[in-house]
Amino acid sequence: MRKPENLIMILGALLLLVILPCLNAFGTPGSLFHVSDYTINLWGKYLCYAILAVSVNLLWGYTGLLSLGQCLFFSLGGYALGMHLMLMIGEQGQYFKSGNNPLLLPDFMVFMGFPELPAHWIPFRSFWFSVLMVFVVPGTVAFLFGWLAFRSRIKGVYFSILTQALTYAASLLFFQNKFTFGGNNGLTDFKTLLGADLNAADVRRNLYIATVILLIAVVALVKWLLGTKFGKVQKAVRDSENRVLFSGYATTSFKLFIFVLCAIIAGAAGALYVPQVGIINPSEMTTDKSLEAVVWVAVGGRATLLGPIYGAIFVNALKSWATTAYPDYWYIILGGLFVLAVLFAPNGIAGFPQQIRDVAAWWKRRQAPAIEPDATPA
Amino acid sequence: MMRPVNFLTCLLPALLLWTGFMTLAAAQDPAGDAIRQQLIEAILNEDEEQTDRIEAMAETGSDLAAKVLTQWRAGELFLDTAADGQKILFTREGGQAVRLDTAAAFTPVAPKEMETSSKIRRAIRNALDLIAVASPDAKLRTAAISKLGMTQNTDYLPVLVARQTRETDKDVRKALEEAIAVMQLMDEDDAVCIAAVKKLGEMRSLPCLDLLRAMTTSEEESDEAKAEAKKSVALIEAYSKKVEMAGTVFRGISAGSVLLVVALGLAITFGLMGVINMAHGEMMAVGAYTTYMIQNIFGAGLSLSMFGLGLNIPGMNLTGAAYQSYFVWAIPASFLMAALVGIGLERGVIRFLYKRPLESLLATWGISLILQQLFRLVFGPNNVQVSSPSWLSGSFVVNDVVLGYNRVFVIGFAIAIVLLTWLLLTKTSLGLFIRAVMQNRLMASCMGVRTERVNMLTFGFGSGLAGLGGAFLSQLGNVGPNLGQSYIVDSFMTVVVGGVGNLIGTVCSAIGIGTVDQTLQSVTDPSMGKIITLSSIILFLLWRPGGLFPTRTRSLEG
Repeated sequence: MRKPENLIMILGALLLLVILPCLNAFGTPGSLFHVSDYTINLWGKYLCYAILAVSVNLLWGYTGLLSLGQCLFFSLGGYALGMHLMLMIGEQGQYFKSGNNPLLLPDFMVFMGFPELPAHWIPFRSFWFSVLMVFVVPGTVAFLFGWLAFRSRIKGVYFSILTQALTYAASLLFFQNKFTFGGNNGLTDFKTLLGADLNAADVRRNLYIATVILLIAVVALVKWLLGTKFGKVQKAVRDSENRVLFSGYATTSFKLFIFVLCAIIAGAAGALYVPQVGIINPSEMTTDKSLEAVVWVAVGGRATLLGPIYGAIFVNALKSWATTAYPDYWYIILGGLFVLAVLFAPNGIAGFPQQIRDVAAWWKRRQAPAIEPDATPA
Repeated sequence: MMRPVNFLTCLLPALLLWTGFMTLAAAQDPAGDAIRQQLIEAILNEDEEQTDRIEAMAETGSDLAAKVLTQWRAGELFLDTAADGQKILFTREGGQAVRLDTAAAFTPVAPKEMETSSKIRRAIRNALDLIAVASPDAKLRTAAISKLGMTQNTDYLPVLVARQTRETDKDVRKALEEAIAVMQLMDEDDAVCIAAVKKLGEMRSLPCLDLLRAMTTSEEESDEAKAEAKKSVALIEAYSKKVEMAGTVFRGISAGSVLLVVALGLAITFGLMGVINMAHGEMMAVGAYTTYMIQNIFGAGLSLSMFGLGLNIPGMNLTGAAYQSYFVWAIPASFLMAALVGIGLERGVIRFLYKRPLESLLATWGISLILQQLFRLVFGPNNVQVSSPSWLSGSFVVNDVVLGYNRVFVIGFAIAIVLLTWLLLTKTSLGLFIRAVMQNRLMASCMGVRTERVNMLTFGFGSGLAGLGGAFLSQLGNVGPNLGQSYIVDSFMTVVVGGVGNLIGTVCSAIGIGTVDQTLQSVTDPSMGKIITLSSIILFLLWRPGGLFPTRTRSLEG
């Protein structure tokens, strides 16, 4: 298993990081070797989701914490960069053009009747401050929540339900107009990032490349982390937390560290997602979105290094296709896929080769079904 | 085609009969005749005393007078001048002209609308108000008296005082006292005025609060009256706070009952069985849609289109009380329907996942997506209309607190199903098996309990309770494919706050959360109230993960 995985990683990185952007930049439009700007943008989106999925997997697959709040952190990162992008619209805003916005407020603030820029928006004029906030805001929220939760030894389904409630409360809060983040419509209509036009093909390609680099970095980090002693404790926490605790490890700190790390990874993914998609609104932080991210991991294969990436790309590509081909049946497909994955393929796409080998072995022996190889306890 | 002769021969006797009947009816009512004459006189003689005569009509207290005066004001009274110069007043009823003096049908020659001046309209209004005061219906009487009182027109005072001596109904007497006191506020005599202020204070009259408040700063009142008004205002304000609080508590308890109805099923499936059923909300939707279908079957029928197939469900076209009773049938139907879906879910998916609770969460979420989309495909993406039966709409008032029937009903309903659940769990052998299996599945199995069957029935029962909740929600809010989604987080929170596996805890937490939520909603706006409630719950659970009544166990993994 180990060798093909490394090979796939190197080949995949090469394909995503070098070949696709080159084909986009230098391929003749219309030829077989051309990748359109649309495709690059679409894959940029998929890979942002893949980063999110890797963070979900690090939490759920390797530490046994099913967080239904990863989309909250994803959105918080997105909002942090979105605020900067919003302020950079400046003189290109509709209200400024029609002369109703001398203070250069974001358009939605004019629309909602804010007299001036709220104080907490002002520092976001600086790009580097915003980038810092992309990590700090989700990290802080995760730290506070995680500290309280792990200190009280909340685990298993209770942790899931509480993170779900946290996400729900946060989305209700962001839906409020007076919460100064654009309410229902969120932040949108971005124009420039660091002075570059967000709609230009090369800027989009660079954003895509940045996403791929982040993904590779995150995967490398996870791979390294799992190889260390820390990673071994982490997996031990998943398998039997009490034994680890009684062996003298402060499991709370381990879990808290992973939780914060995953929140930061998700926030970074969100920050790359927003300029590529051009909008962030509270519907991104509903519990449904978090559960969808969990579906990617479950379909791709939890507790495998590359499974979440397969899952995120496969499910989202399927979504892109099914929502146009069979719009009425998409949710049935997604739900059905999920039920089937949980029931029959607990190791997902990444576990297929092993599962096929198992079935073949079973077929040879004609013994009791081995459809469910040793499932890791949740 | 029918021959015209035939048609006429049928119509003529019918017309004759009807006319005869009307004449007979008029002739049998000598008092009515007198009122008719009085009315005609009042309407036709356009002299200076006309307004007095109109207002005098009030003393008759007659419905007929009220009806005719209303028609006159609305321009529905006509005057016909016959060939011999005789003036005939008439109204039109169902396209037929009816004489005012004899109540007989006739054919007008040169009809003309009776016009009204503003002076006459005012007189008519006064007369109508006074007629209402004498109305035989106590509720109408109370409303009319309160309205008169609020005008503070002292001209009516003698009428009200006269009425007071004759009135026997308790509520009407109270309204009369209040109205008289309000009028006496305008009295020249300071002593009378002060007495009235005192009286209103003692009566805790909420509608007079603004009036009395105005008095405390008014230039025209004496200092003594102002001081007295201040006292009364303070009294009434304290009372109003109490009423508001009682209202909030009532709304809180009823909101808590809704939560309880919704969360009780979850307390069974999650609390007792430990299955995280994310499709619980969809079980409610199943119940709500079942109610919708039952309603349509009792009414005009229903046609659904599923996957390109049309399905016509014929209706029974019932009306009146039979139709209104649909909800009584919908309650067991939604229980059964949701229980069946729940049993299917348990057999098909959940039974494979008892040892993997996190994965049962994920699988049931997948099911919930599928069910939602099925609702969309079958019933359409929009909300469907479920009308409340008449015996659930309306309200009654106790000490100025408005209690809606449906809200009172939901409280009773919640009590009933909690009681039933409790009886089932503690007094039946099935309940014994359920508790045994939930405490130790393996041991129960060794003792010969058919755990598979008990699991199935328990899950079915929990789902059925969710269906009941859905049937009830259809009476309070919209029924749509997303119905369950809006309650799922709330119901999980309710169960966890109460302490998992503890029914009494669920009851306490539902009522508590409902009351806190309603109180906060009355202080801030609804969505802020919800956010604050939810955040407090999260903080509470972070502090006390076991909830209000944690289950004490020696098990390490408990």
